[in-house]
Amino acid sequence: MLECREITKTYGRKTAVDHVSLRFEPGKIYAMLGPNGSGKTTLMKMAVGLVKPNSGSFYYNGEKVGQESRREIAYMSTEPYFYNWMTVKDVGQYYADFFEDFSPEKYAQLIDRMELSMDMKAKTLSSGMMAKLKIAVTMARSAKVYLLDEPLNGIDLLARDEIMASILEATGPEVALVVSSHLVDELERIVDTAVFIKESHLIEVCEVEELRSQWGKSVADRYREIYGHGGESYAEADEI
Amino acid sequence: MLKLMKYEFRKTMFSKLVLLVVTGLAEILFLTGVFLEWDKGLAIGMVGLLLCTVIGIFYIGLESLIVFHRDLNTKQSYMLFLTPRNSYQVLGSKILENGISIFLAGAFFAVLAAVDVTVAVLYIGGLQEFLDLLKQLSFTWDVEINISRVEILMAFLSSLASWLMMIVTGYLAIVLSATVLAGKRFSGFVSFLLYIALTWVSGMALDRIPSFDNVTLKFWLVIAGAFAVSTVMYAVSGWIMERKLSV
Repeated sequence: MLECREITKTYGRKTAVDHVSLRFEPGKIYAMLGPNGSGKTTLMKMAVGLVKPNSGSFYYNGEKVGQESRREIAYMSTEPYFYNWMTVKDVGQYYADFFEDFSPEKYAQLIDRMELSMDMKAKTLSSGMMAKLKIAVTMARSAKVYLLDEPLNGIDLLARDEIMASILEATGPEVALVVSSHLVDELERIVDTAVFIKESHLIEVCEVEELRSQWGKSVADRYREIYGHGGESYAEADEI
Repeated sequence: MLKLMKYEFRKTMFSKLVLLVVTGLAEILFLTGVFLEWDKGLAIGMVGLLLCTVIGIFYIGLESLIVFHRDLNTKQSYMLFLTPRNSYQVLGSKILENGISIFLAGAFFAVLAAVDVTVAVLYIGGLQEFLDLLKQLSFTWDVEINISRVEILMAFLSSLASWLMMIVTGYLAIVLSATVLAGKRFSGFVSFLLYIALTWVSGMALDRIPSFDNVTLKFWLVIAGAFAVSTVMYAVSGWIMERKLSV
């Protein structure tokens, strides 16, 4: 479905993503894990073509990602990006204008559920409300792939439940869902596969159930092993 | 493309409304001057309308470059580049919207000027003077009708080619600044220098078009050359955006 092959991105002398190869399959929920600056966001942005790699590529159904793949891949950025003049209603209209899979009805329901209103100005929203708006407009699409970058950032506990519920409603046998977050415990409950990224390298891709049954570890345990106290090197992590 | 154009228009709507309001105020002053025979108001209104026309049309062109720079250099770029549209469509919609806006603004100010002259002549000089003016105009039109049509077309095409080259050169400079020069020091200043250099090079290239001892032929060749250079710059900008632009 969505995959990258030997993808690399550098910003000047800094390598943000280093020769990463990865495949996201439909019907699964992925947690993309790693500390700040590990390369998660750059990887997601390359998957939708917002960032161009230096080498390697992202492919969607065998074709390089670009104009066509954006019809079926929904991306939620961690930063606010709506135009200053937009109200919540305008944001929905914009998505309705450009994405055939966008449902205005579902958007209205999600806005209601997130306790926002259509006449609110996007630029005056608090960070928590902005996160809710971004989730609502992204999840109102019936995409084949959802890439959600830190959707729980700045969200209080109660709203977090609403957001998680909205995210889970989008799952299905034809849908791949990729969520990046620092909140490993929150994701542990819902994900099938954990992707660990460290210092621009892909460290490990593990099935959460297998991790539990074969190694007796939770995702949080594995996270601590990889990232805690200097963590494991790429080679050490590879042994598990 | 139409939807992209709709949002391009929406991005610049505020400044166009401001222009409309300022023009409205100048028009009120002008008409007050006409009807109350208040010379100072009439003069201020006329100067205001003239400034609105010149500065307004220039700013509509300039704002297109400002908006494009913002679209490539802030997170609002996601609004454009997350949509299932390619860079050529994004650029094309910006050029078309700006061209239509400038054309409509030009037409609006031309109609307004015609109405104002009519009102002023009618009110100040009376109906007879207005009819004399019309007669004089139609006489001139009859005499020069064959030449004028060509001249009007030439003037229109020459304005269109100048505007197109200015806007597309600006887009290319902004694209280079956001891609090749991204993150480099003084990239904004360098892109301005690049704009000057591109304008100079394309101007030099057009100047070298031979005249074949025929001024009209030379004119048409220069116009064709300007459109060709603009097309090349548009294609290069789109190509760089598709392959190199990271937002």
